[in-house]
Amino acid sequence: MTSADFSTVLPEFLLAVFAMAALLGGVWTGKDKTAGAILWATVAVFLGLAAWIGLNGGPARAAFGGMFLDDAFARFSKVAVLLSGAAVLAMSADYMTRRGLLRFEYPILVALAVVGMMMMVSAGDLIALYMGLELQSLALYVVASLRRDSAKSSEAGLKYFVLGSLSSGLLLYGASLVYGFAGTTSFAGIITVVEAGHLPLGVLFGLVFLLTGLAFKVSAVPFHMWTPDVYEGSPTPVTAFFATAPKVAAMALLARLVHDAFGQVPGEWGQIVGLMAVASMFLGAVAAIGQRNIKRLMAYSSIAHMGFALLGLAAGTEAGVQAMLIYMAIYVAMNIGTFAFILSMERDGQPVTDIAALNLYSRREPLKAMAMLVLLFSLAGVPPMLGFFAKFAVLKAALDAGYVWLVVLGVIASVIGAFYYLRIVFFMYFGSETEALDTRMPAVQWVLLMASALVMIAGVVNLFGVEGAAAAAASALVR
Amino acid sequence: MSPALIAALPFLGALLPALLIRTGRTNAAVAAAATSGLALLGLLLHAPAVMRGEVITARYDWLPWLGLNANFMIDGLGLLFATLILGIGLLIILYARFYLSKDDPAGQFYTYLLLFQGAMVGIVLSDNILLLLIFWELTSLSSFLLIGYWKHLPEGRQGARMALTVTGMGGLAMIAGMLILGNIAGSHDISAILQAKEAIQASPFYLPALILILIGAFTKSAQFPFHFWLPHAMAAPTPVSAYLHSATMVKAGLFLMARLWPVLAGTPEWFYIVATVGLITMLVGAKIAIFKDDLKALLAFSTVSHLGLITFLLGLGTKAAAVAAVFHIINHATFKAALFMSAGIVDHETHTRDLKRLGGLRHLMPITFTIATIAALSMAGIPLLNGFLSKEMMLEEASHTLWAGNAWIVPAVAALAALFSAAYSFRYIAHAFLGPVRDDYPHHPHDPGFGMWAAPAFLVVLVVAIGLMPMTFAGEIVRTAANAVVGGGLEMYPIKHWHGLTPALWMSVVAVVGGLLLLSLHPRLNAIWLAMPRPEAKVIFDAIIAAAARGAQALTGRLHNGSMSRYLLIFVIAALGAGYWAWTTGQQGAPTRALTPATPVAFAAWIMLIVATGCVVAFHRNRLLALVLISIVGLIVSMSFIYLSAPDLALTQISVEVVTAVLMLLALNFLPKVTVPETSVLKRRFDAVVAVVGGLGAGLLIYALMLRDFAFPSMSEYHLANSYTGGGGTNVVNVILVDFRGYDTYGEVIVLGIAALVIFALTEALLTGASSRKLIAWRPDVVRAGDKHPLMLLVATRVMMPIALMMAVFIFLRGHNLPGGGFIAGLIAAVALVMQYMASGYAWTQARQRVYYHVLIALGVLAAGITGIGAWFNGVPFLTSDFGYFRIPPFEKFELATAMGFDLGVFLGVVGSVMLALGGLSRLARRAAVGDEGFHVVAEKPDARALAEQTGPLEVGLAGEWRRSARLGAEEDK
Repeated sequence: MTSADFSTVLPEFLLAVFAMAALLGGVWTGKDKTAGAILWATVAVFLGLAAWIGLNGGPARAAFGGMFLDDAFARFSKVAVLLSGAAVLAMSADYMTRRGLLRFEYPILVALAVVGMMMMVSAGDLIALYMGLELQSLALYVVASLRRDSAKSSEAGLKYFVLGSLSSGLLLYGASLVYGFAGTTSFAGIITVVEAGHLPLGVLFGLVFLLTGLAFKVSAVPFHMWTPDVYEGSPTPVTAFFATAPKVAAMALLARLVHDAFGQVPGEWGQIVGLMAVASMFLGAVAAIGQRNIKRLMAYSSIAHMGFALLGLAAGTEAGVQAMLIYMAIYVAMNIGTFAFILSMERDGQPVTDIAALNLYSRREPLKAMAMLVLLFSLAGVPPMLGFFAKFAVLKAALDAGYVWLVVLGVIASVIGAFYYLRIVFFMYFGSETEALDTRMPAVQWVLLMASALVMIAGVVNLFGVEGAAAAAASALVR
Repeated sequence: MSPALIAALPFLGALLPALLIRTGRTNAAVAAAATSGLALLGLLLHAPAVMRGEVITARYDWLPWLGLNANFMIDGLGLLFATLILGIGLLIILYARFYLSKDDPAGQFYTYLLLFQGAMVGIVLSDNILLLLIFWELTSLSSFLLIGYWKHLPEGRQGARMALTVTGMGGLAMIAGMLILGNIAGSHDISAILQAKEAIQASPFYLPALILILIGAFTKSAQFPFHFWLPHAMAAPTPVSAYLHSATMVKAGLFLMARLWPVLAGTPEWFYIVATVGLITMLVGAKIAIFKDDLKALLAFSTVSHLGLITFLLGLGTKAAAVAAVFHIINHATFKAALFMSAGIVDHETHTRDLKRLGGLRHLMPITFTIATIAALSMAGIPLLNGFLSKEMMLEEASHTLWAGNAWIVPAVAALAALFSAAYSFRYIAHAFLGPVRDDYPHHPHDPGFGMWAAPAFLVVLVVAIGLMPMTFAGEIVRTAANAVVGGGLEMYPIKHWHGLTPALWMSVVAVVGGLLLLSLHPRLNAIWLAMPRPEAKVIFDAIIAAAARGAQALTGRLHNGSMSRYLLIFVIAALGAGYWAWTTGQQGAPTRALTPATPVAFAAWIMLIVATGCVVAFHRNRLLALVLISIVGLIVSMSFIYLSAPDLALTQISVEVVTAVLMLLALNFLPKVTVPETSVLKRRFDAVVAVVGGLGAGLLIYALMLRDFAFPSMSEYHLANSYTGGGGTNVVNVILVDFRGYDTYGEVIVLGIAALVIFALTEALLTGASSRKLIAWRPDVVRAGDKHPLMLLVATRVMMPIALMMAVFIFLRGHNLPGGGFIAGLIAAVALVMQYMASGYAWTQARQRVYYHVLIALGVLAAGITGIGAWFNGVPFLTSDFGYFRIPPFEKFELATAMGFDLGVFLGVVGSVMLALGGLSRLARRAAVGDEGFHVVAEKPDARALAEQTGPLEVGLAGEWRRSARLGAEEDK
C-alpha cells in the first residue's frame, strides 16, 4: 500500500474508521444513550465528505493497481450517495426516537453501507466490486430488520437476505466465469479481451450472471421481488434509505461494469438492460395502480424509476450515462422529499401508510399538500417539474441511440404510471372526508420536504448545473 | 414587445392578484386585467408585421443539450390563438369580477387564471416542441388548481379527476411523439420541424409518432373516445368553464394539429384517423347535447361536437378545409364563450341551470335573452351570423369527401351532425327563454348589472359583425392564420354568404328544418332517449379504473404474494431465461478439449452419486434419512477426489462430512423428524420441473465450459514449481493454504471462530426466558434406546481417543510435505472429542473438559497472527514464511518452517470452533434432557447429579428445576 493509494481511498478510509470508532464508542458508553449523537455525527461526516469529494476536483486517479478508481464518475455518484444518506439519516432521527428504534447501530450500519457504496462506485475490479457490494448488502440486511419485535420487519430482513444471497451467488458465479475465460478480474483487462473480437462463451455467461446479480440490487424486473415486501416491512426511514443511496450506488456500479468492462459489446448487454428496463417500467407502473399502502406504492414507483434509469444505460452511449446520472440525482431528490412527508404521516402518534388517510389533505395543510403535489407531479414526470427533465433526458438518449420502441414503450409506461401519482393528488384535493392526520411534522422533515419540492420547480431553470457534472462523469466512464 | 415577454407577462402578473386581494376584489381583478391587457397590447403591436407575412421570433438557450430552448415565435396561427386567449381572458376577468361572490377566494382565482393564461399563450407562441410540451402540461396543472380551489362542489371532484387523468396522461404520451418527431427532423424547433415534411412522412416511425401526438391532442380537445371528461369538468365555476372548456384549453389540441399540419397532414393515415375521429365526435357530441337538461352540460357536449367539427376539417388535409377550420375556431370561440357566460348569468340569477325548471326568461331577462339567442342562432348555423359561414364551408368540404371510396357517408354524417347542432341550439333558446313565465324559479331572476353582461355582449357584437362582413372583420386574420397552418402559399377565396344553390346549402336547409322538427318532437324523443341504455362516461371511467385496480391487484397478488418460494421460483426462472439467452446468442465455437475417458469405477461412482441424490430428493421429508443420504453423497465426492489424485481434498471432505453430520444430528434432535408437505401436488410437480431444468441447465453449462480452454493455462504448474523453493513444502495444497494464500486462510480461521461464537451466543440466548421453558417442556418425539451409553461404544471411543489424537498430531506434522495439515488435523481432533460426547454423554464429557473452547479459538488466531507478524522481523511482508533445516542429535536432519506455527493456529482455531459449536448445541440438549433423561441420570448415577451441581449456577438451577418437576411427578404418582 503506497501513500498515493492511501490518499486516494482516504475518504472511504476515514468513513470506515469513523464507523468502527463509533461502534466502539457506542458499546462503551452503554448502548443507545449516544445513539442521537452518533446519528448527527454521521450526518456531519457524510456532509463533510460529500463537500470534500465534490469540491476536490483533480484528475482521475487509480489506486491498488486499478482496483479502485477515483474519477469524475465515482465522485458524482459518491456525492449523490453521501448527500442522500445524510438527508435520510437526518429526517429519520425523530421517527426512530419516538418509535424507540434509535439504536446506536443504526447510523453506524448506514455509514458502513455507505462505505460499501463508495467502494462499489469506485470499483475497477471484480473483487473490489464484490467487496463493496457485500459490505453494503450485509449492512442493509441488518437495518431492514431493525425493528426486531415486528414480524414484518424481521421477515423483510430475512427475505432480503435469502434472495440477496442467491443473487450474490449468481454474481459470484458470473465473476468467476469471467475470470476464468478472460483471465483477469480487472475491468481494464476484461475489456481488452472483449475488444479483441471473439467473445468467449464463458465471458458472455459471466456477463449475464453479473448483470442478474446487479439487477437484483437495483430491483429491476424480474429480480425485483424483494422490493415491495422489504419496503413495506422495514421501518420507514430504512425504506427511505433503500429507495435512495443504494439505488444510486448499484446503478453506478452497473454503469461502471458494463462500460468499463464490457464497453464494446453494447449489443450484448444493451438488449438485456433494455429488456429489464421495459419490464421494470411496466411492472412498476401497472402493479402500483392497486396499491393502498404508500410504502408499497413507493416500492413499485422505485421499480419503475429504475426502469427509466436503465433505459438511459441501455442506450450505451455517453449521453445515456449522463442521462442516467441526471435521472438518479433527480430521483433521489424527489424521493427524499416524498419520504420526508411519508415519515410525518401519523394519526394519534401512530404511523399511517394508507393512502386514503390523505383525503382532503389540502384543506388542512395547503402548503404541505402543494409541496406533495409538486413532488408527485414530478415523480410522474409531468412537465415542467424536474422529474420530466429526468425522464426526457433518458428517453432522448435512448432515442438517439436508435431504441425507438423502447422509448415508445417507456412513455406508455409513464402514462400508466402517472395514474397512481395523480390519484394521490386527487385524494389530497378532492377526496372524501376522513379522519385527519396529525399536523405534527419535525422541522428537519418539513425543511427537506419543502426544499425538495422547491428544487423540483426551481431546478427547471438550469437543473442546478447537474448536467455539467453528469456530463463530466459520463465522459470519464464512456470512452 | 418580445414574444417571450408576452408569454411571461401572465406568469409575472399572477403574483399581483394574490397580493392585492387584501385591498379588495376589484383591485385584484384590475391587476389581472391590466396584465392580460398589457400582454394583448404587446401582441397586437406585432399584428401588422405578422399580417405582412413576417414571423416575429425570440430565442434563448435554455438546456441546449436536451434540445430544449426557450424559442418563441409569432406567426399567423400564434397571433390568432394568442389574441383569442388574451382577449377572451380579459373578458372573463371582467365577467368573473361580477360573477364570483364575496366569499369566493377571488385572489387565488385570478392568480390561477393568469397562470393558466400564461401557459396557454406559451403553447401557442413557442417555437420548440419541448417548450410547447412544458406549457401544455402546465395548462393541465393550472386548470387542476383552478378547479381545485373551488371547494364547494362535491360533484366536481370526479370531473376534476377525470380531466386531470385524461389530459395529463395524454400529454405524457405526446412526449414520445414529440421526441420521435424531433429526432427525425434533427431539431426540436418547430420552425425546423415544419421544413422536414418529406423526412418525417417517409420515416418508418411516422405512424407511431403521429398516433402518440394525436393521443395528446385528442385527449386535450376531448375527441372521441376521450370526449367524456369535458362535460364532467363543467362542474367548475362558469368563468372557468367558459374560458378553459370552451374557448382556450380544449382548443390546444386543435392548435397542435394545426401547428403540425404542414408536416403531418396529407397522408391517408392522417385523414383516416383525424377526419374520422372528428366526424364521430361531431355526431356523438351533438346527439347527446340534445338530451341534456343542464344548460352547461348541453353547452359542453355542443363544445365537444364543434371541436369534432374543427378536427374533421383539419383531418381532411386540404387547404380550403384548413381555412374553414381556422375560421370556425374564431367563430366558435366567440359564440360559445358568449353562450357560456349567458348560461352563467342564468345560473347566477335563477340559481338553477336545469332546463326543466327554466323557461319564460325572455320577459324577465331581456338583455340576457338577446345575447343568448344571437349566440345560439349562430351556433345553429342561421344565415347572417358567423356560425353559418363556417358551417357552410364545412358542409361544402364534406360534400365532396370520399371515405374509403364511399361518396355519401361523410356528407350524410356531417349533415346529420349539423341537424343535431341546430336542434340543441334551438332547444337552448326555446326551453330556457321562451314559453310562459313561471313562478317557481328557485330565485326570482332579473337582468344582471352591466359589468356582467358586457363581456358576452361584446362577443355577440363580434358574432354579428363577422357574420355580416366576414372579410372586413376576420378576413385578414383568417388568411394569415390559415397561411401559417398550410405552410404558406395559400390563395384564399373571399368568405361570403351566397355561393349559389350548392349541395352545402341544401344540407344547411335540411339541418335547420330538421332541427326545428326535432325540437318539436323533443318530449317524445327524450322519453325514448331515457328508455335506451346510455353509456355513462363516469360509470365507464370508474369501471375502467376499478378493473385496472383489480387487474393490478391480481397481478401483484400473484407475483408478490409474500411467499418466499414464489420469489425464488421467479428468480430461478429469470436466471434460466438469462442463461438460455446467453446460450443461444453467444458464439460458442468448437470445443477445444477432449473428454477424459470414463473408467468403470468412475462410472459406477457417478451412478451411485445420481442414485444417492435422487434418494435425497425422494426421502427428504424424513430428515434423518436425508442427512444420511447427504453424507453418502459427501463420501462419494471424497472418493472421487481420491480418484482424481487429490488426497488433501478427500481428507478434508471426509472429516468435514463427519463433523457436520454429527452437528446436524444434534440440531435435528430438537426438530420434527419429518417435514410435512405444505404445497399441492401440482405445485410440487411444477417445482420439480423447474428444478430439473435448472439443474440440467447448470450441468450443461458446466459441461460446455469444461470442454473449452480457459484464458490461461492451469496455475497448478506455477505452484508445483514454486511450492518447495518458495514455501519449503512439497504438499502444494498445504503450502497454498499456509503460504501462497496465507492471508485467505488467516481470514477464514477468524471467520470460522466468529461463526462458532455466534452459534454459542445464539444457543446461549435460547437458554433463558420463554425458549428455555419450551426446551424443558420438550419431549423427544421418537422412542429412545433403553441404554443411552452402550458399553462397547463407550470403551471403544475412550480407547480410540488417544489414538485419534495421535493421528491428528501425525497428520498435522506431515502436512507440509504430504497430505494432511492443520485444518484436517483439527477436524480429526474434533472428531475424537465429538466421539466422547456421543458415547459418554454431554455431562460426563463436559465435566472433564479442562480448556475453554473460546480460549482455543483465541489461541489459534493469535498463533497464526504472531507467526505472520514474525515475518516482519525477518524483513519480509506479513505472513511470508521461512524455513530451514536443523539437525539436533539424535534425530535425523529435519525441516522446520514458520508455516508450522501458522498451521498450529489453524489447528487450534478449527478444534475450538467445532467444539464450541458442539458445546452450544449440547447445552441445549442438556437443558432439554432435564425433563426427560435427567431423571434417570440423576437418580441412577448420584455422581452425575453431584457433577451437575458442581459445574456451576446454571446446572444448579437446572437441578432445582428438575427437583421441582420430580416432586410434581411423585405427587401425581400418589
